[in-house]
Amino acid sequence: MKKTQLFLLVVLAAAQFAVLAAMITGKERVLRDGEEFRFKTRPIDPADPFCGRYVILNLEENHIPLPPDEMPTLVHRQVLYAGIATGTNGFARFSGWSRERPASGPYLKTRYCGEYCVYDQATKTSIRKGLRIELPFNRFYMDEAKAPRAERIVWDSTRDTNCWAAVRILNGKAVIEDVFVKGRPIRALVAETPAK
Amino acid sequence: MRKVPNRHRQWLIKELPALQCAGVLPPDRVEAIKAYYETQTRGGTHWAIIAFAILGALLIGSGIILLFAHNWENFSRPVRAALSFCPLSLGVALSATAICRNGGTAWREAAGIFHALAVGASIALVAQTYHLPGDTPAFMLTWALLVMPLIFLLRSTTAYLVYLALLCGWSGVAQNAYGQSAAFWLLFLPAVAHLARLFRDDREANDTATCLAALLLTLCICTGIVLERTVPGLWIVAYSALLSGAGLLGLWLYGERDGWGNIPKLFGLIGMVVLAYIFTWQEIWREIGWEHVRCGWQYRAWGVWLDSGITLIFLVSWVITAIKAFRRDSIETLTLAAFPAVATICFAVGTASDRACLFNTLVFNAFMLYLGTMYIVMGCRNNKLRQLNSGMAILSLLLVTRFFDTGFSYLARSLVFIVLGTIFLTVNLVMVRRKNLKELNP
Repeated sequence: MKKTQLFLLVVLAAAQFAVLAAMITGKERVLRDGEEFRFKTRPIDPADPFCGRYVILNLEENHIPLPPDEMPTLVHRQVLYAGIATGTNGFARFSGWSRERPASGPYLKTRYCGEYCVYDQATKTSIRKGLRIELPFNRFYMDEAKAPRAERIVWDSTRDTNCWAAVRILNGKAVIEDVFVKGRPIRALVAETPAK
Repeated sequence: MRKVPNRHRQWLIKELPALQCAGVLPPDRVEAIKAYYETQTRGGTHWAIIAFAILGALLIGSGIILLFAHNWENFSRPVRAALSFCPLSLGVALSATAICRNGGTAWREAAGIFHALAVGASIALVAQTYHLPGDTPAFMLTWALLVMPLIFLLRSTTAYLVYLALLCGWSGVAQNAYGQSAAFWLLFLPAVAHLARLFRDDREANDTATCLAALLLTLCICTGIVLERTVPGLWIVAYSALLSGAGLLGLWLYGERDGWGNIPKLFGLIGMVVLAYIFTWQEIWREIGWEHVRCGWQYRAWGVWLDSGITLIFLVSWVITAIKAFRRDSIETLTLAAFPAVATICFAVGTASDRACLFNTLVFNAFMLYLGTMYIVMGCRNNKLRQLNSGMAILSLLLVTRFFDTGFSYLARSLVFIVLGTIFLTVNLVMVRRKNLKELNP
């Protein structure tokens, strides 16, 4: 009886370790082999009871632009693939979408979250501009003392300050490598800033 | 098998040779007593030891989660990835020790809760190291699925409680993020299976009572979250059948025992009173007859089948328990059994007519009045203060609420409060005197 229980515990422990190992190796592979993209961001700082403090990456690029006459029928949270291109300013933007996995080019596996609309002051109407998508890189975890300082640095900076998240993408999966403010890693910048 | 504390057994075994030498017990009796205590009893641990072991493991496990949540960003990524395995390794080691040492309740429970929390800490650390997005339902589901086997392996009640808490949390966040959490019913099955095994082993054990209470509470919380509400108002039938079924289950399994000795009955009775009170408000009955409550991407056409199926299961369970627990001489059993029938009739009336709100409200005001009176009469007849005060509390709640509802003058309000208070005090005084008289002249 005891041997059986121990054997079952070994099986369970193996499954638990395997889940953790799969999570780690998958992310490591993306960080090692993935292509790097820069997403413009404006971070703010909240907390998670289990994972600690983080900055929310308010990513500017959170939708796939579409012509006004094109609005496909999609179900909420339907899986789709967003093509990624680098713009002339050096930052990433979503360039198109498909229901099937693209054969070539960088892409992100994501989910449909609804229509992306912009309010037009002139006509007083909401105009559809594209598809809102779920971004699988919206948090950047930081030391609990540094996260609030990081937020302050970002907000103290002028609005045209370049803040971006360096994200590596491989086979539709994305992992954040670092977040940059004024062209420098946010952690280094925070370390140089005295706590108030 | 009867539970006897280890130190009591050891003391008795030590005493036996002395009793044999003194000629009090013949040798064959001594051997029979020894054999009885070795084969027919098992050691029990003092509840304080179990409680402190659980509390210790809970605090250490939570402390580890918070320690990692601090975010030690000076460590490199590989070091942090390696560290993610540490809480889990500790949890596995503790569980293995509990199994190897044929651990008693304290060991199993401490290992169960620590291992369960360690799984969460490890996943959270990986999420932190690789900046995983805030997908809370996925986080909780992974955690719950990895904890679930521990319940069966360690027979740990604390792991069971963590699993049920994760199920509650998951159903809430999944309903919010995905617009449905129907998978709750699949995840709920292992919890039912574990409880069934505990019942088979020993339905009187503390573990069984704790797990049953936790299961009923989870069911009560999650039914409301998981129902798709494609048939507005169907929750009235589902909840009344669920709570009445729980109460009748208690009467069937544990008889007329009261309080903590019969948790399902206590749960069912309190639930019935709370639900009947909620039904005395007109707003509750207004949504009946609407097409559906949710809209947009949160509306699902198949929800009607899910909601109806769940309600049907609850109704069938209610009918079975009502048949098993049925006793003509118990007014409490009859009331519990009748409650879902009244609620279902009111729901049907509400569906048939748009103007049934007032009728349904009056029916449940009358039902509350009946409940209060029933408990006052039972309390006086059985000489039980608890029943009497419960009846008074139900009546007071109903009267005070209605009194605010209809907006009487200040004079009328003050009179009602004074009369209610006087009745409370007088009846209690009479009961105390009766009790004293009974003690003096048994």
